[in-house]
This record gives sequence, structure tokens and C-alpha cells, in this order.
Amino acid sequence: MIRFLIKGILRDKNRSLLPVVIVSIGVLLTVFLSGYIRGVMGDMIDLTARFQTGHLKVMSKAYADNQDQMPNDLALVDLSRLLQELKQDNPKYDWKPRIHFGGLVDVPGPGGETRSQGPGTGLAFDLLSPGSSEIDRLNIQNSLVRGALPATPGEALLSEDFAQKLGVQPGETITFFGSTMNGAMAFRNFTVSGTVKFGSAAMDRGTLIADLGDAQDMLDMDNSAGEIVGYHNAGAYEDEDARSLAAHFNKNHADGDEFEPVMQTLGQQNNMGAMLQYTDHMAAIFVGIFVFAMSLVLWNTGLLGGLRRYQEFGIRLALGESKGAIYRSLFTEAVIIGLLGSIAGTTFGVLFCFLLQKYGIDISSVMQDSSMMYPNRLRARMSLDLFVIGFIPGLFSMVLGNLLAGIGIYKRETAQLFKELEV
Amino acid sequence: MKKYIVWIFFLAGSYSTSGQSTPDARLIISRIDENMSSRNRVILSDMIIHGRRNERILTAKTYAAGDNRSMTEYLAPEREEGTKMLKLEDRLWIYSPASDRTIQISGHLLKQSVMGSDLSYEDMMEDRKMTAIYDAQVIRNEQISGRDCWVLELNAKVPDVAYEKRVVWVDKIRYVPLQEELYAKSGQMLKKTTLSEVKQIQGRWFPTRINYKDMLKQGEGTDYIIREVAFDTDIPDYIFTKAVLTK
Amino acid sequence: MKLAFQLAYRNLLGAGLRTWLNVGVLSFAFVIIIFYNGWIDGWNQQARRDSIAWQYGFGQLQVATFDPFDPFSITDAHAALPAEDDHLTPVLLRLGTLYPQGRTMSIVVKGIDVNQTVVDLPTSALTASKSDLPAIIGEQMALASHLKTGDEVLLRWRDIHGTFDAATVTIAGVFPNQVPGIDKGQIWVPLKKLQDMTLMPDEATYFIADANFQHTEIAGWKYRSQEDLLYEINNIIKMKKMGGSVMYLLLLAIALLAIFDTQVLSVFRRQKEIGTYISLGMTRQQVVGLFTVEGAMTSIFAAVLGALYGTPLLGWIAHTGIAVPMNSQDLGIPIADRMYPVFGLGLILATLMLVVISATIVSFLPSRKIAKMDPVQALKGKIQ
Repeated sequence: MIRFLIKGILRDKNRSLLPVVIVSIGVLLTVFLSGYIRGVMGDMIDLTARFQTGHLKVMSKAYADNQDQMPNDLALVDLSRLLQELKQDNPKYDWKPRIHFGGLVDVPGPGGETRSQGPGTGLAFDLLSPGSSEIDRLNIQNSLVRGALPATPGEALLSEDFAQKLGVQPGETITFFGSTMNGAMAFRNFTVSGTVKFGSAAMDRGTLIADLGDAQDMLDMDNSAGEIVGYHNAGAYEDEDARSLAAHFNKNHADGDEFEPVMQTLGQQNNMGAMLQYTDHMAAIFVGIFVFAMSLVLWNTGLLGGLRRYQEFGIRLALGESKGAIYRSLFTEAVIIGLLGSIAGTTFGVLFCFLLQKYGIDISSVMQDSSMMYPNRLRARMSLDLFVIGFIPGLFSMVLGNLLAGIGIYKRETAQLFKELEV
Repeated sequence: MKKYIVWIFFLAGSYSTSGQSTPDARLIISRIDENMSSRNRVILSDMIIHGRRNERILTAKTYAAGDNRSMTEYLAPEREEGTKMLKLEDRLWIYSPASDRTIQISGHLLKQSVMGSDLSYEDMMEDRKMTAIYDAQVIRNEQISGRDCWVLELNAKVPDVAYEKRVVWVDKIRYVPLQEELYAKSGQMLKKTTLSEVKQIQGRWFPTRINYKDMLKQGEGTDYIIREVAFDTDIPDYIFTKAVLTK
Repeated sequence: MKLAFQLAYRNLLGAGLRTWLNVGVLSFAFVIIIFYNGWIDGWNQQARRDSIAWQYGFGQLQVATFDPFDPFSITDAHAALPAEDDHLTPVLLRLGTLYPQGRTMSIVVKGIDVNQTVVDLPTSALTASKSDLPAIIGEQMALASHLKTGDEVLLRWRDIHGTFDAATVTIAGVFPNQVPGIDKGQIWVPLKKLQDMTLMPDEATYFIADANFQHTEIAGWKYRSQEDLLYEINNIIKMKKMGGSVMYLLLLAIALLAIFDTQVLSVFRRQKEIGTYISLGMTRQQVVGLFTVEGAMTSIFAAVLGALYGTPLLGWIAHTGIAVPMNSQDLGIPIADRMYPVFGLGLILATLMLVVISATIVSFLPSRKIAKMDPVQALKGKIQ
């Protein structure tokens, strides 16, 4: 019976192709939009993850307690061993050490004496290794205002406003003065390779970006770093995965020492948990309404599809098929069409979402002035429910529409349906 | 870093007398001055910084003349070697050989706490005489480490002082301060200094170990140990010029 | 053409239920598009609204030397206003050091009038507290300092002369918020208290203006308007609009899918009718026109229907907002979180235009098939 119906569906293009295509498109839209809306609503969380929290972050316990003060004296030591362990145990994540530091940026005049100076905040990460994921992650290339990215050790970037305040041009030398991990004085000269714009006044006012190696050297932090951030290779934050990973890591490293490494998830930092919850909640409402709207559209499709087949039902009744049999075949056909459409739509929808999550659409070229702290890529966010969500409009409402239309079979007299058959 | 600057300046600062303190206290303070101050001094010191993780020892040689000129050169550890700090009146320069740069700490930076610490350079650069800014009186007698002491209470008589009240324990025989407590207006103790290992050097009694402790913070504070000290030597004037920094 | 409109109108009305189903679905899609975009706009503007409600008010009158991004400027940025203004709420900023559990935190102490209503800061908690020096802190600060309501912590500050002072602060409340500018690295205390503590009677660092404040130049003070203060946030919103526009197109796609679907079925179902039109002398193009107009008219009906129920519905939502239940246990001061969609007239008109125009195009596409029909076969209702 089903095979017969499938044959029928396949051979009658109007019964098959069009509804399947429409259902697929509808399902695709539902799935894609659901993933996309999560991405758009999470863009600020995404930014926080990129700049501050990572999807996961490893710090020493003491450092974590005082994070706001950038306490590098409490930084992680034995970095290479820790990094190796993280990479080995959690290859799903990209692990990157970073150092935040504070101090004075001083510009020398002709005689080597202070020409201008200002307090600055430093951020150090892997800038120099070829193809470093951090450059793309922090959107540095697009945020360059003048000059170029550092290409050799000893080069650094300044925020544009800071450079202007200090009166420094790319190519000039500045001295950073701060304190080392051990509390001693830290000095280092940097050549300003370029300037960047963050788009956040607080950061634009006084930020220095240096390569991790330079900062380690300057701050006497050989083989140490303030933090190691981890980013899921698939691009989006996975709360459950991150939680279990962090719990596992923390259990392994719980030795009661105040400098033991601790791993925190995005949700556990900066009050992002509440933010995540809020976003998830909002996204769920959005997705719910959208699924409902799409259900209505496809229900309508099903209904109209059923209505237009009254002639056919008339003939079939005339040929002696029972109303029940016709109704059942209508139902089965709707299920088959709904399933085919939903599967196709879900497949493509999920695929698009995945691509949009991983790569994103770079919109920085469309923006007049790009800067680091603005969302510069449109991204979707994958989640498991995307695999099932499309079936609600695609299968259930489609079938429901058909079934509603089919009620007409019972209502109408055979003669009447037959009459509609007039050729 | 900021901690040892404080101590160098603490030693540079003098308790010399002026103003209307109580006769007793004034006498005591002038005796301290007699004992401790000198035209100039050269000090070789070790600074022990008790970090949360480790302990570091910094060795430095300080040349100080009068109350407001001093130059410190760091000798060890290797990383610090050659770093110099020059203080002239209310100005402060720091030189690092690694970057071959002299940086002036000035303006707001002088006023503010530096690099998130709770000490400002301004704090450390108080040049005024104690008796010019405080009224002093002996409030009681007390023993510290087995030595009889007068306990002096110093209350600010001008508004622009960092600490409203200081309490100093002075050795009755040697005229050496053995302990000092610094208080906030509310009476909250902020800092405590303990001076010990008092030795006779060139006819003066001089504490050679000083522990400096911020009472609001955890930790053991910082120890300052004077290994060698010479008073009234010939310090060439160029030592207190910026040119010395880059030499 | 007039005939086409009349016919289309009659056909649509004549089709009864089927038309209304389509119109209903389309109008729903229409309302949803506007609702969605309003919501996304509302979401984007949340930061803007929060910043106004919590931090900026209707502008700020600041001591000229005050630079919010330079903590060094705070030391000297304090002054008394020559004349009092009922529309200004004073805030005094001082640097301080907090010692939670023996740790050291450099913070900004902010004194604010406890009876103020210009910002959402729950300053009533300061009045309610019996402690000598109560303070309220944001949840980020609470997290960073490990402080909670009822905790006592030592604060050290310097008075106007630079003399150190220290006292115990009692945390009178922790408020959840989304505005880092009033949360991170700072505590809020009663203004009078802070003025007394620092010997700065009647002085302030800035004033928050209310809606009725009229600015006139005052020497030594600078006025920063609300828009001026929101510059950065406005920029981010502009950037985020991009993400919203993609959403808009996707939503439009549903509406069009509904029209397209209906139209394909109409052309298929109404072949006899098409044949009749042609045999009555209409050109094929005219029939195509008729069907296109029908589709377009469906969208206009949808717009009218949508406006009928959408306007009051969306108006109500925009007014009351949508409560977003937040899990805010032990955060101290509960604050209802509401999400307010923003429905701009531009958005509504643009949506209307876009839906009608694209509906016309989408209606036209399936109708082109008519031009290829054999009228005789069509008249017979033979499927082609």
C-alpha cells in the first residue's frame, strides 16, 4: 500500500514535487532561522567569550579569585605541561595562553627622556606564530587603523586613541613600565607596528597588544601565563560539554593548593550564566513563535493540497473505494510528503547553520569602520533541537492540514464529489 | 618595588624638631634626630619581599643626602642589576638598563597608587619634618623586645597629611624608634613598622632590620635589612643628577 | 486593468474560506515579521535602555575635568554646583581600596542621593539599612569581591586633603543588572555620607539629569547629552542591525512561501476558469495580470487584517513588555526583567511595502504558466 502511494506521489508531480519542495523550504527556513536567531542573540556573549572568558578558561585558583586586579604574581606556572595536558585531553578545544597586565606606556623624546606617558592595560597572546587562531578570533586584522600587525618580537599594537593621546606614530618606539610576576620592575621597549580600534571607549583609551613571548619575557613569566582560554573547534559554546569538561579537570587538579589550576566555563564567569540563561530563554520564545508561524503556513499548504484533490476523491469514491480507505491513504501520503520534506529541509537547514556557525559571514567589509569589540560576523548557533524542530511544521502541521481537508470526504455526498468531476 | 622605595625614604626623612610639641616629646624627637640623621649616608641593603608564592631578595645601594635627594642602584638579582632610581625634591625618575630608558613618574601618577598597589609615590615622598605636621606627646611607657620605650603619639596639625595619627615607640636609652603604627582618621590602624637589630654604627644606634606591614593586607610584609651603612661620606654631587642614571 | 482589480476582488471574496485562510495565514506572517523585528530591535536596544535607566538618565552634567575612562581624573573632579537644580541628581566619585578577606581591590566609591528616582539603582536599600556606612553593589562586583548582602568589608579612602581614612562598609544589597558602568569595580554609598567622609560638603563629580532638565552653560562643568553618552551603544546597535536584516529576509520568505504556494494551487485548480476568461476574449497577458493582482490583493487584505488585530496586540506588548523570568536566587534585590520590543513606523511601512511588492512578484511567477496554456484544454480542465 505504502509502496503504491509512494509511486503515486513520485509520478504525480503536483502531488509530490511541489508539496515536498514547499515543505522542505519551510522546514529549512524554520531550522535555519532557529539556529540563526540563537547566533544573533548570543553575539554579545560570543564577544565576551572571545575577549575575556573563552568557552573555558584555566587560571590558578588564587588568580581566579582576584581576576579583576590582573594579579600576574598568581599566574599559572609550568605552562607548557599544562597546555600539553589540555590539548591531549580535550582536542575538541583550541587552547591559547593569554596574559593581561597593567602599567605605564612611556614615549621617549629626543634625549631618551619621557616625552609623554599614560597608564595602559596590556593584553598579550599568540600574535606571531603563523596562522595563529587568535588574530582572527580577536578580529585584529579588520580593526587595524594604521600600520600593520606585529611581525617580529618586540613589536606591539596600541589602541588608536591611546596612540594619538601619546602622540605616537607607527614605527616609533615606546617603553612599557610595569611590574613583573615577582613584583620587580618590568621595562621593555616596543616598536609600535600599528594601531587598532576596539570600539569600546574604555579599551580605546589605553590598550597595548603584545605577543605572548614578549610579555612573558618582560614580566619574567617564562613558561607561565595569567590564563589559558579554550575555544570549541565547532565555534559555538556548548554549555553541557564545557561543564563536564571543567568538572573533570577540576577534580583531577584538586590538590588543595591555592595555586592549583582551576577551569571555569563561560557560564561560570562574569555572570555570564545569567546572561546565557536569559538568551536561551529569549531564543526559545523566538523559536517557538517561529515554529508556530511556519506551522500555520504549512498547515495551510496541507489544507489546500487536500482541498484540491476533491475531484480525485470523487472518482475514487465512484470506483467503490471506501471513505475510510481514501482518508487513510490521504493521511499516509501526507506523512510521506511531510517526512520527505522535513528530512530534506532539516538536512539543509542544519548544514547551513553549521556552516554559518563555523565560518560566519564576515560583515566587516560592509561596515564603515570595523572594530574589535563589535560583532563583525553573522553567525548561527547549532543545537540539538534543530534536528527535530523542523518536523513540527513539516510533518505535524502538514498532516494536520491534510486531515482537516480530508474531513470533507466524509461530509460530502459521493454524488456531489462525483459531480465535481465533470470533464 | 614600591615598598622598598618607602623605606629608603623613611630613612631619609627626619624627625628634627620645630613647632610647638610638648617639651618632652620634642626633646625625644630631637634626640632621635641627633642619633639618626646625618649629612648624608650610603646604605647597602637587602630587601626581602614575601610574595604569596616565593621570597625574593633585592640588593641595592642607596646614596642619600639631606632629606630630599636620594639615588638607589640595584645590584641583584641579575634581572634588576643596573636599575636606578633618582629622587630629587618631589620628582622621581627610574632608569632601566634593559630598555636604556629613563622614565619620570610624575603628575597624577605620583599622586595615585601605582599599578594597583595601595601605595602612592606621593606617600613615599613626604619631605616635611614630622614636627612641622604633627603635634607630638608622650602618652605612656612600654617595653618592646625587652627595651624600655616612650610611646609617642603624633597627631596631625595640618590637614594635608596622609596619616592623621602616628604612634611611635622610642628606645629610652638609645633614642631609636623601635615601632611605628600609622592610623586612619577613623582610628583604624593601616600600617605597622617594626625596627630591630639595633646596632651601633659610627657612634650612632641604628636599626638594621625593618619590617614594614600593611595591616589591611594578608602576608608577612616586607623586610628591609641594612647590611652596611656609612654616614657623612663624600658623595660626589653628580650622583644626584639625571646623568648618573644612564652611567 | 480596472477590470482585473474588480474581478480579482470578486474572485477573492467569492472564494470565501480559501481566501480567508490565505489572508489569515499571510496576515499572521505579516504581524510576526513586525513582531520579530521589533523584538530583535528591542533586544539590540536593551543595552541602550538599560544604560539610560541605570546610568545615564537624560544626560549628565560633569565636572569639566572628569574623564570617566581615566580613574586618575577622579581625584580632582569634584565641585559644588553654583545653584541647585531640582532636575539634577548629584553623584560624587572617590577612589578607594576595598579589603575583602585580606585581598586588595582598587575601586571607585560612588555617593548618590538616597532618595533619587532618576536611575533604577535601588538606593532605597541604603535608606533601609541600619548600618553606619551601607553600600549597594552590582552582581558583577559581588562576584569579583565575593561579597553578599549583610557582609562587612573594610574600605580605605582619602579625604579632600589626601589623609587616609578607613571604615567598615556593610553591604546593604546586591542588585542584578546588565550595565557594567554602574557595577564593575565600584560600590554605591549614600551621597551625604561620602561627602562627610571626604570633607567635600555639597560637592559632586557629576549630576544625572531628569527628563525636564534644561541645560545652560555653567563654567567648570560640561554637559553630556543622553545621545552623547550613548554614542558607543548606538554604534553597536547599528552594527547589530545587520544581523537583524538577515532575519527580516528569512521571515519575509515564509510569507512569500505562503503566497507562492496558494498561487501555484490556484493556477492549477482554476484552469477551467482560465480557459473561460480566454474564450471570453481576454488575452493571456490579461489573465496573468488578473491572477497576479489576486495574489497581490491577498497581501493587501492580509495587511489590513493584520493591522486590525496586530496594532492593539503589538501596541500592548510594546507597552507592557514581556516578562523574562530570570533565575536570580540570592542576588539580594529582585528586579523584574522585562523585554520591550520596539516597533518603528518605518519598520511597519517598509514591511508593508516589501510584503506587497514581493507578494506581487511571487504571484506573478506561477501565473506565467497561464501564458503557455492551451485555452481549449484549459477550458476542459485538463491538467497540463
